Amino acid sequence: MADMAEAIESAEISHEAAANDRVMFGFWVYLMTDLLMFAVLFAVYAVLHGNTAGGPGGKELFSQQQALAETLLLLTSSFTCGLGMIAARRGNKSQVLVWFGLTFLLGLAFLGLELREFAEFVREGHTFSANAFMSSFFALVGTHGLHITSGLLWMTITLIYVLKRGLNKHLVRKLALLSLFWHFLDIVWIFIFTIVYLMAFV
Amino acid sequence: MNEKSPITTTPPKEHRTTGSYVTGFLLSLIFTAIPYYMVVHKTVSGSALLATILLFAVLQMLIQIFFFLHLGRGPKPLYNVIFFVSTVGIILVVVLGSMFIMKNLHYNMSPESTTTKLAQDEGIDQVGGEKTGACSDIGVNHKVIIKNNIASPAHTDAKLCDTLTFINEDDRVREIAFGKHPAHEAYGGELELSVRKGYPKTITLNQTGAQLFFHDHLDPTANGGFSVIK
Repeated sequence: MADMAEAIESAEISHEAAANDRVMFGFWVYLMTDLLMFAVLFAVYAVLHGNTAGGPGGKELFSQQQALAETLLLLTSSFTCGLGMIAARRGNKSQVLVWFGLTFLLGLAFLGLELREFAEFVREGHTFSANAFMSSFFALVGTHGLHITSGLLWMTITLIYVLKRGLNKHLVRKLALLSLFWHFLDIVWIFIFTIVYLMAFV
Repeated sequence: MNEKSPITTTPPKEHRTTGSYVTGFLLSLIFTAIPYYMVVHKTVSGSALLATILLFAVLQMLIQIFFFLHLGRGPKPLYNVIFFVSTVGIILVVVLGSMFIMKNLHYNMSPESTTTKLAQDEGIDQVGGEKTGACSDIGVNHKVIIKNNIASPAHTDAKLCDTLTFINEDDRVREIAFGKHPAHEAYGGELELSVRKGYPKTITLNQTGAQLFFHDHLDPTANGGFSVIK
């Protein structure tokens, strides 16, 4: 009888696990389509980045230190996000709050640096409509920034849930999706860092 | 927390350890620092640097995928890996394809500088008799003076990319055409040159030929020949 009960329970577990895998896969499909959108924006940037209509190019506008700082912030936030996920799977609520809280702060710092850079460009007259180069730059980097913003919003909501309701398997799944999203944004940023910022100085 | 929750009991998750994240983090830091250092200090130049930093970006991506996203460790069959690989395929087609097409378009449709380059590549071009693209290095200038209906010298030997100036010293306008009258051939993109007294016209000799002729279309008695060798 005990075997029977165990078998039923494990069947239920595998059923739930399958549902879990389906959700993860669905989210993965979303991420891949999102990646396609970024690819198109990268293609636009690659084609148009030279068309500055007499205005300054990336070499004159970008700051290498700033780009490096943003990269390090996002890399570290991806790391703390991973540690938060480990804590979530172990069911350690306080560690989840600490690591994801850190992730949130690092993400916020990244966003702050990015917005400061954007504001500086706009102040100097290098707006979205200044030339094709600025348009493609703002479209690509701005879309990534929007993703980061929505990620931060999502993180805030999920952490409030964790704080109020504690960790349950649905919340752990939500956190897993969130961390997938966050790592994904990190990967996209690596290419922005390389193709937009580093290549401007080659 | 329920110990039997599917998240904690599904197949071995030993890869989801802190160690994996630490390794991934350190490697990605290194793979950020190296291209950054190379760009700031310009250790190599041009396309070599470009290729290197792109390579590091791809390595960085692979590290993130394996150490952070744990792609390929999920339940089999690995639909997410298949999905990822096909996405990368589409991305390569979209990005490289647009770059290739737009570069071609730029090459064929852009004004002035590119037109000149195109003219040089294709060896065709004579824009307005003066502007030349096919010849980047202009050679010697030869002169043909037409006076009293006679062109002198009657024959000019020139090299490719030399220039030929028609000077009209008669009062009437000369319509210099190429070929032997009544044939009317284009030379180097020019069909006819109107040459008035005091306003010489110069063409660049951008087509070779052993027996080339010109004549005044209005009065063919004024004619001559020239040869252009490499």
